[in-house]
Amino acid sequence: MQEFTWPGRTAETGLAFDLEKAALRREFEQRLEECGTLAFRVARGVLRNAADAEDVAQEAMLRSYRCFARLRDPSRFRAWLVRITFRLALDHGRSARRREQRESSWATDLPKSTSEDIAAANEFGRRLQEAMVALPEKSRLVLLLAGMDGHALEEVAKLLHVPVGTVKSRLHSARKQLAEKLR
Amino acid sequence: MTCNKYENALLLAAASNGEPDATLTRHLERCLKCRIALRSERELFSRIDRALRARVNEDPPPGFLAQLRLQLSKELTPRPGSNRVWHVAGAALALVLIAIFYPLVNAPSSVQGNLQRPAVRVSRSAGVTQSAHTGEDLKVRLRHHSKRPAAQSAVPQEPEVLVPPDEQKALAQFVACVARRDAMAEAVVTPAANKTVNTNTELPQVSLVDIADLQLGRARQQEWISETGSSE
Repeated sequence: MQEFTWPGRTAETGLAFDLEKAALRREFEQRLEECGTLAFRVARGVLRNAADAEDVAQEAMLRSYRCFARLRDPSRFRAWLVRITFRLALDHGRSARRREQRESSWATDLPKSTSEDIAAANEFGRRLQEAMVALPEKSRLVLLLAGMDGHALEEVAKLLHVPVGTVKSRLHSARKQLAEKLR
Repeated sequence: MTCNKYENALLLAAASNGEPDATLTRHLERCLKCRIALRSERELFSRIDRALRARVNEDPPPGFLAQLRLQLSKELTPRPGSNRVWHVAGAALALVLIAIFYPLVNAPSSVQGNLQRPAVRVSRSAGVTQSAHTGEDLKVRLRHHSKRPAAQSAVPQEPEVLVPPDEQKALAQFVACVARRDAMAEAVVTPAANKTVNTNTELPQVSLVDIADLQLGRARQQEWISETGSSE
Protein backbone atom coordinates (compact mmCIF):
# COMPACT_ATOMS: atom_id res chain seq x y z
CA MET A 1 0.00 0.00 0.00
CA GLN A 2 1.29 3.39 -0.98
CA GLU A 3 2.16 5.70 1.91
CA PHE A 4 -0.25 8.53 2.47
CA THR A 5 1.02 12.03 1.84
CA TRP A 6 -0.80 15.22 2.62
CA PRO A 7 -1.80 17.34 -0.34
CA GLY A 8 0.92 19.84 -1.13
CA ARG A 9 3.59 17.90 0.70
CA THR A 10 6.33 17.19 -1.73
CA ALA A 11 9.53 15.27 -1.19
CA GLU A 12 11.35 18.54 -0.42
CA THR A 13 8.87 19.65 2.22
CA GLY A 14 8.87 16.16 3.67
CA LEU A 15 12.65 16.22 3.88
CA ALA A 16 12.59 19.64 5.56
CA PHE A 17 10.02 18.33 8.01
CA ASP A 18 12.18 15.33 8.86
CA LEU A 19 15.28 17.52 9.25
CA GLU A 20 13.42 19.82 11.61
CA LYS A 21 12.26 16.83 13.61
CA ALA A 22 15.79 15.47 13.82
CA ALA A 23 17.09 18.87 14.97
CA LEU A 24 14.47 18.99 17.69
CA ARG A 25 15.41 15.51 18.79
CA ARG A 26 19.09 16.47 19.00
CA GLU A 27 18.22 19.59 20.97
CA PHE A 28 16.14 17.57 23.38
CA GLU A 29 18.83 14.96 23.83
CA GLN A 30 21.32 17.67 24.71
CA ARG A 31 19.09 18.62 27.60
CA LEU A 32 18.29 15.06 28.51
CA GLU A 33 21.00 14.46 31.08
CA GLU A 34 20.63 17.73 32.94
CA CYS A 35 16.86 17.85 32.78
CA GLY A 36 16.39 14.14 33.45
CA THR A 37 18.27 14.52 36.70
CA LEU A 38 16.29 17.63 37.59
CA ALA A 39 13.01 15.80 36.96
CA PHE A 40 14.15 12.86 39.05
CA ARG A 41 15.13 15.10 41.96
CA VAL A 42 11.89 17.03 41.93
CA ALA A 43 9.95 13.76 41.92
CA ARG A 44 12.17 12.33 44.62
CA GLY A 45 11.53 15.37 46.80
CA VAL A 46 7.82 14.66 46.66
CA LEU A 47 7.76 10.86 46.72
CA ARG A 48 9.02 8.51 49.37
CA ASN A 49 10.94 6.00 47.29
CA ALA A 50 13.33 6.29 44.38
CA ALA A 51 11.57 3.77 42.16
CA ASP A 52 8.39 5.82 42.10
CA ALA A 53 10.41 8.97 41.49
CA GLU A 54 12.10 7.29 38.53
CA ASP A 55 8.76 6.34 36.98
CA VAL A 56 7.38 9.82 37.44
CA ALA A 57 10.50 11.46 36.04
CA GLN A 58 10.39 9.26 32.93
CA GLU A 59 6.75 10.04 32.37
CA ALA A 60 7.42 13.75 32.79
CA MET A 61 10.31 13.64 30.31
CA LEU A 62 8.24 11.78 27.73
CA ARG A 63 5.42 14.27 28.06
CA SER A 64 7.79 17.17 27.75
CA TYR A 65 9.35 15.58 24.67
CA ARG A 66 5.94 15.26 23.01
CA CYS A 67 5.32 18.95 23.60
CA PHE A 68 8.87 20.15 23.01
CA ALA A 69 8.25 21.14 19.40
CA ARG A 70 5.33 23.32 20.43
CA LEU A 71 7.28 25.15 23.10
CA ARG A 72 7.74 28.71 21.90
CA ASP A 73 10.49 29.63 24.28
CA PRO A 74 12.93 26.73 24.77
CA SER A 75 14.74 28.68 27.49
CA ARG A 76 11.75 28.11 29.71
CA PHE A 77 11.92 24.36 29.26
CA ARG A 78 13.41 23.74 32.70
CA ALA A 79 10.69 25.68 34.47
CA TRP A 80 8.07 23.87 32.43
CA LEU A 81 9.58 20.49 33.21
CA VAL A 82 9.73 21.27 36.93
CA ARG A 83 6.03 22.07 36.99
CA ILE A 84 5.05 18.97 34.99
CA THR A 85 7.15 16.72 37.20
CA PHE A 86 5.92 18.25 40.43
CA ARG A 87 2.31 17.87 39.36
CA LEU A 88 2.79 14.26 38.25
CA ALA A 89 4.61 13.42 41.48
CA LEU A 90 1.83 14.89 43.59
CA ASP A 91 -0.76 12.82 41.69
CA HIS A 92 1.38 9.72 42.03
CA GLY A 93 1.85 10.34 45.75
CA ARG A 94 -1.86 10.72 46.32
CA SER A 95 -2.70 7.47 44.55
CA ALA A 96 0.14 5.70 46.41
CA ARG A 97 -1.23 6.89 49.73
CA ARG A 98 -4.67 5.60 48.84
CA ARG A 99 -3.15 2.25 47.89
CA GLU A 100 -1.24 2.11 51.16
CA GLN A 101 -4.37 2.81 53.14
CA ARG A 102 -6.12 -0.05 51.39
CA GLU A 103 -3.23 -2.44 51.98
CA SER A 104 -2.59 -1.38 55.58
CA SER A 105 -5.95 -2.80 56.62
CA TRP A 106 -4.59 -6.36 56.32
CA ALA A 107 -0.89 -5.64 56.80
CA THR A 108 -1.29 -4.55 60.43
CA ASP A 109 -0.83 -8.13 61.57
CA LEU A 110 2.63 -8.38 60.01
CA PRO A 111 5.61 -8.40 62.46
CA LYS A 112 7.26 -4.99 62.84
CA SER A 113 10.97 -4.24 62.55
CA THR A 114 12.85 -4.82 65.75
CA SER A 115 15.84 -2.61 64.95
CA GLU A 116 15.41 0.55 66.99
CA ASP A 117 18.04 2.49 65.08
CA ILE A 118 16.35 1.95 61.79
CA ALA A 119 13.05 2.77 63.35
CA ALA A 120 14.36 6.01 64.82
CA ALA A 121 15.96 7.06 61.54
CA ASN A 122 12.86 6.24 59.62
CA GLU A 123 10.68 7.96 62.15
CA PHE A 124 12.09 11.38 61.39
CA GLY A 125 11.82 10.74 57.65
CA ARG A 126 8.23 9.62 58.02
CA ARG A 127 7.30 12.65 60.10
CA LEU A 128 9.09 14.94 57.67
CA GLN A 129 7.18 13.40 54.79
CA GLU A 130 3.88 13.90 56.59
CA ALA A 131 4.77 17.46 57.44
CA MET A 132 5.66 18.18 53.82
CA VAL A 133 2.42 16.71 52.53
CA ALA A 134 0.57 19.14 54.77
CA LEU A 135 2.38 22.14 53.27
CA PRO A 136 0.79 24.28 50.57
CA GLU A 137 1.95 23.12 47.13
CA LYS A 138 3.65 26.42 46.29
CA SER A 139 5.68 26.41 49.49
CA ARG A 140 6.54 22.78 49.00
CA LEU A 141 7.91 23.32 45.54
CA VAL A 142 10.00 26.27 46.70
CA LEU A 143 11.39 24.16 49.52
CA LEU A 144 12.39 21.37 47.14
CA LEU A 145 13.96 23.61 44.53
CA ALA A 146 15.84 25.69 47.08
CA GLY A 147 17.22 22.54 48.62
CA MET A 148 18.79 21.38 45.34
CA ASP A 149 22.49 21.96 44.87
CA GLY A 150 23.29 24.86 42.63
CA HIS A 151 19.88 26.43 42.99
CA ALA A 152 20.23 29.91 44.43
CA LEU A 153 17.07 31.77 45.35
CA GLU A 154 17.34 33.77 42.11
CA GLU A 155 17.38 30.55 40.12
CA VAL A 156 14.30 29.30 41.98
CA ALA A 157 12.55 32.60 41.35
CA LYS A 158 13.38 32.30 37.64
CA LEU A 159 12.08 28.74 37.46
CA LEU A 160 8.81 29.62 39.15
CA HIS A 161 8.38 33.05 37.49
CA VAL A 162 7.97 34.80 40.83
CA PRO A 163 9.98 37.58 42.51
CA VAL A 164 12.88 36.62 44.75
CA GLY A 165 11.07 38.15 47.72
CA THR A 166 8.17 35.76 47.19
CA VAL A 167 10.58 32.83 47.15
CA LYS A 168 12.15 33.98 50.41
CA SER A 169 8.84 34.41 52.19
CA ARG A 170 7.53 31.05 50.96
CA LEU A 171 10.72 29.33 52.00
CA HIS A 172 10.70 30.89 55.44
CA SER A 173 7.05 30.03 55.95
CA ALA A 174 7.57 26.42 54.80
CA ARG A 175 10.54 25.80 57.09
CA LYS A 176 8.70 27.33 60.03
CA GLN A 177 5.67 25.09 59.44
CA LEU A 178 7.90 22.03 59.17
CA ALA A 179 9.68 22.88 62.39
CA GLU A 180 6.37 23.35 64.20
CA LYS A 181 5.24 19.90 63.14
CA LEU A 182 8.55 18.21 63.90
CA ARG A 183 9.30 19.94 67.20
CA MET B 1 7.46 35.90 81.21
CA THR B 2 10.51 37.88 80.17
CA CYS B 3 11.59 35.08 77.77
CA ASN B 4 8.19 34.96 75.98
CA LYS B 5 8.93 38.40 74.60
CA TYR B 6 11.93 36.99 72.73
CA GLU B 7 10.24 33.88 71.38
CA ASN B 8 9.58 35.17 67.87
CA ALA B 9 13.03 36.72 67.55
CA LEU B 10 14.55 33.48 68.73
CA LEU B 11 12.65 31.40 66.16
CA LEU B 12 13.54 33.87 63.43
CA ALA B 13 17.20 33.67 64.36
CA ALA B 14 17.08 29.89 64.35
CA ALA B 15 15.25 29.68 61.01
CA SER B 16 17.46 32.20 59.25
CA ASN B 17 20.57 30.55 60.65
CA GLY B 18 22.08 33.98 61.12
CA GLU B 19 23.29 35.97 64.08
CA PRO B 20 20.59 37.17 66.52
CA ASP B 21 19.95 40.89 66.75
CA ALA B 22 21.50 42.98 69.51
CA THR B 23 18.52 42.87 71.86
CA LEU B 24 18.24 39.08 71.68
CA THR B 25 21.98 38.70 72.02
CA ARG B 26 21.92 40.69 75.24
CA HIS B 27 19.08 38.52 76.53
CA LEU B 28 20.83 35.29 75.55
CA GLU B 29 23.92 36.33 77.51
CA ARG B 30 21.80 36.43 80.65
CA CYS B 31 19.32 33.54 79.95
CA LEU B 32 20.54 29.96 79.81
CA LYS B 33 17.07 28.61 78.99
CA CYS B 34 16.82 30.70 75.84
CA ARG B 35 20.34 29.75 74.78
CA ILE B 36 19.35 26.09 75.03
CA ALA B 37 16.12 26.77 73.17
CA LEU B 38 17.99 28.56 70.38
CA ARG B 39 20.48 25.73 70.07
CA SER B 40 17.68 23.21 69.99
CA GLU B 41 15.77 25.13 67.31
CA ARG B 42 18.88 25.53 65.20
CA GLU B 43 19.51 21.80 65.47
CA LEU B 44 15.96 21.08 64.35
CA PHE B 45 16.19 23.38 61.31
CA SER B 46 19.56 21.95 60.46
CA ARG B 47 18.18 18.43 60.61
CA ILE B 48 15.26 19.36 58.38
CA ASP B 49 17.57 20.98 55.86
CA ARG B 50 19.91 18.00 55.86
CA ALA B 51 17.08 15.55 55.31
CA LEU B 52 15.64 17.66 52.52
CA ARG B 53 18.97 18.19 50.83
CA ALA B 54 19.80 14.50 51.01
CA ARG B 55 16.55 13.71 49.39
CA VAL B 56 16.40 16.28 46.60
CA ASN B 57 20.05 15.88 45.63
CA GLU B 58 19.88 12.14 45.26
CA ASP B 59 21.28 11.05 41.92
CA PRO B 60 19.04 9.01 39.66
CA PRO B 61 19.74 5.26 39.45
CA PRO B 62 22.48 4.27 36.95
CA GLY B 63 20.11 2.95 34.30
CA PHE B 64 17.79 5.90 34.46
CA LEU B 65 19.08 7.89 31.49
CA ALA B 66 19.56 4.79 29.35
CA GLN B 67 16.01 3.75 30.08
CA LEU B 68 14.83 7.25 29.24
CA ARG B 69 16.61 7.18 25.87
CA LEU B 70 15.04 3.82 25.14
CA GLN B 71 11.61 5.20 25.90
CA LEU B 72 12.25 8.17 23.61
CA SER B 73 13.31 5.85 20.79
CA LYS B 74 10.08 3.91 21.19
CA GLU B 75 8.24 7.18 21.06
CA LEU B 76 9.86 8.00 17.72
CA THR B 77 9.24 4.60 16.13
CA PRO B 78 5.94 4.65 14.24
CA ARG B 79 3.58 1.98 15.43
CA PRO B 80 2.51 -0.67 12.91
CA GLY B 81 -0.91 -0.08 11.46
CA SER B 82 -0.96 3.56 12.37
CA ASN B 83 -1.54 4.67 8.81
CA ARG B 84 -2.81 8.19 8.61
CA VAL B 85 -5.18 7.34 5.74
CA TRP B 86 -7.42 5.51 8.16
CA HIS B 87 -7.28 8.35 10.63
CA VAL B 88 -8.28 10.84 7.96
CA ALA B 89 -11.01 8.56 6.62
CA GLY B 90 -12.39 7.97 10.10
CA ALA B 91 -12.46 11.68 10.85
CA ALA B 92 -14.20 12.41 7.53
CA LEU B 93 -16.80 9.72 8.16
CA ALA B 94 -17.48 11.08 11.62
CA LEU B 95 -17.97 14.57 10.18
CA VAL B 96 -20.41 13.30 7.56
CA LEU B 97 -22.43 11.41 10.17
CA ILE B 98 -22.55 14.46 12.40
CA ALA B 99 -23.67 16.63 9.49
CA ILE B 100 -26.49 14.18 8.71
CA PHE B 101 -27.78 13.45 12.18
CA TYR B 102 -27.16 16.72 13.99
CA PRO B 103 -30.06 18.65 12.37
CA LEU B 104 -32.44 15.74 13.04
CA VAL B 105 -31.45 15.42 16.66
CA ASN B 106 -31.44 19.13 17.38
CA ALA B 107 -34.44 20.15 15.28
CA PRO B 108 -37.11 22.18 17.13
CA SER B 109 -39.91 20.06 18.51
CA SER B 110 -42.47 21.85 16.29
CA VAL B 111 -40.64 20.67 13.18
CA GLN B 112 -40.44 17.13 14.49
CA GLY B 113 -44.12 17.30 15.27
CA ASN B 114 -44.78 18.56 11.80
CA LEU B 115 -43.24 15.41 10.36
CA GLN B 116 -45.42 13.18 12.44
CA ARG B 117 -48.73 15.03 12.69
CA PRO B 118 -51.04 16.68 10.21
CA ALA B 119 -50.21 20.28 9.55
CA VAL B 120 -53.38 21.61 11.15
CA ARG B 121 -54.26 20.53 14.62
CA VAL B 122 -57.26 21.94 16.42
CA SER B 123 -58.02 20.59 19.83
CA ARG B 124 -61.44 19.84 21.23
CA SER B 125 -61.17 22.73 23.64
CA ALA B 126 -61.32 25.05 20.71
CA GLY B 127 -64.98 24.24 20.47
CA VAL B 128 -64.91 23.86 16.73
CA THR B 129 -65.48 20.15 16.60
CA GLN B 130 -68.20 20.11 19.20
CA SER B 131 -71.83 20.53 18.47
CA ALA B 132 -72.18 22.96 21.36
CA HIS B 133 -70.78 25.64 19.05
CA THR B 134 -68.99 27.68 21.69
CA GLY B 135 -67.35 29.90 19.15
CA GLU B 136 -66.33 32.49 21.72
CA ASP B 137 -63.96 29.99 23.30
CA LEU B 138 -62.13 29.41 20.10
CA LYS B 139 -58.48 30.20 20.55
CA VAL B 140 -56.28 29.34 17.71
CA ARG B 141 -52.81 30.67 17.47
CA LEU B 142 -51.33 31.08 14.08
CA ARG B 143 -47.65 30.66 14.13
CA HIS B 144 -45.11 29.56 11.64
CA HIS B 145 -42.65 27.08 13.02
CA SER B 146 -39.58 28.91 11.74
CA LYS B 147 -40.44 32.01 13.78
CA ARG B 148 -41.06 30.08 16.94
CA PRO B 149 -38.71 31.00 19.80
CA ALA B 150 -36.62 28.18 21.21
CA ALA B 151 -37.79 28.89 24.75
CA GLN B 152 -41.36 28.03 23.76
CA SER B 153 -40.50 24.81 22.06
CA ALA B 154 -41.58 22.86 25.11
CA VAL B 155 -45.04 21.38 25.53
CA PRO B 156 -47.54 24.00 24.33
CA GLN B 157 -50.05 25.25 26.88
CA GLU B 158 -52.70 26.18 24.31
CA PRO B 159 -53.83 24.48 21.15
CA GLU B 160 -51.93 25.69 18.17
CA VAL B 161 -52.16 25.46 14.44
CA LEU B 162 -49.09 25.08 12.33
CA VAL B 163 -49.82 26.72 9.02
CA PRO B 164 -47.53 27.51 6.14
CA PRO B 165 -47.10 31.26 5.68
CA ASP B 166 -49.00 31.47 2.38
CA GLU B 167 -52.07 29.85 3.92
CA GLN B 168 -52.21 31.85 7.11
CA LYS B 169 -54.49 34.57 5.75
CA ALA B 170 -57.01 32.10 4.42
CA LEU B 171 -57.10 30.19 7.65
CA ALA B 172 -57.51 33.39 9.61
CA GLN B 173 -60.58 34.24 7.56
CA PHE B 174 -61.93 30.76 8.07
CA VAL B 175 -61.43 30.95 11.81
CA ALA B 176 -63.14 34.32 11.89
CA CYS B 177 -66.11 32.81 10.07
CA VAL B 178 -66.30 29.96 12.58
CA ALA B 179 -66.18 32.44 15.41
CA ARG B 180 -69.16 34.26 13.84
CA ARG B 181 -70.92 30.90 13.49
CA ASP B 182 -71.20 31.04 9.75
CA ALA B 183 -73.31 28.12 8.68
CA MET B 184 -70.95 27.07 5.92
CA ALA B 185 -67.87 27.16 8.13
CA GLU B 186 -69.54 25.27 10.91
CA ALA B 187 -70.72 22.66 8.51
CA VAL B 188 -67.17 22.12 7.32
CA VAL B 189 -65.67 21.58 10.75
CA THR B 190 -68.59 19.69 12.29
CA PRO B 191 -67.93 15.94 12.45
CA ALA B 192 -69.87 13.85 9.96
CA ALA B 193 -71.77 12.04 12.73
CA ASN B 194 -73.37 15.32 13.87
CA LYS B 195 -74.29 16.50 10.44
CA THR B 196 -77.72 16.04 8.93
CA VAL B 197 -76.93 14.30 5.74
CA ASN B 198 -79.48 14.02 2.98
CA THR B 199 -79.74 10.31 2.42
CA ASN B 200 -82.10 10.60 -0.58
CA THR B 201 -80.20 9.07 -3.44
CA GLU B 202 -82.97 9.34 -6.08
CA LEU B 203 -82.38 11.42 -9.14
CA PRO B 204 -84.19 14.76 -9.21
CA GLN B 205 -87.36 14.85 -11.34
CA VAL B 206 -87.06 17.05 -14.40
CA SER B 207 -89.92 17.80 -16.78
CA LEU B 208 -89.49 16.71 -20.40
CA VAL B 209 -88.37 19.24 -22.93
CA ASP B 210 -89.73 19.12 -26.48
CA ILE B 211 -87.26 19.95 -29.20
CA ALA B 212 -88.76 20.76 -32.58
CA ASP B 213 -87.14 19.53 -35.83
CA LEU B 214 -84.99 22.00 -37.59
CA GLN B 215 -86.64 23.17 -40.78
CA LEU B 216 -85.26 25.68 -43.22
CA GLY B 217 -87.18 27.43 -45.96
CA ARG B 218 -86.04 27.08 -49.54
CA ALA B 219 -84.83 30.64 -49.82
CA ARG B 220 -82.88 30.29 -46.60
CA GLN B 221 -81.46 26.99 -47.81
CA GLN B 222 -80.17 28.63 -51.05
CA GLU B 223 -78.66 31.43 -49.06
CA TRP B 224 -76.88 29.00 -46.75
CA ILE B 225 -75.45 27.07 -49.72
CA SER B 226 -74.12 30.21 -51.30
CA GLU B 227 -72.47 31.24 -48.05
CA THR B 228 -70.83 27.92 -47.30
CA GLY B 229 -70.22 26.80 -50.87
CA SER B 230 -71.50 23.36 -50.04
CA SER B 231 -74.58 21.48 -51.17
CA GLU B 232 -74.82 19.43 -47.97
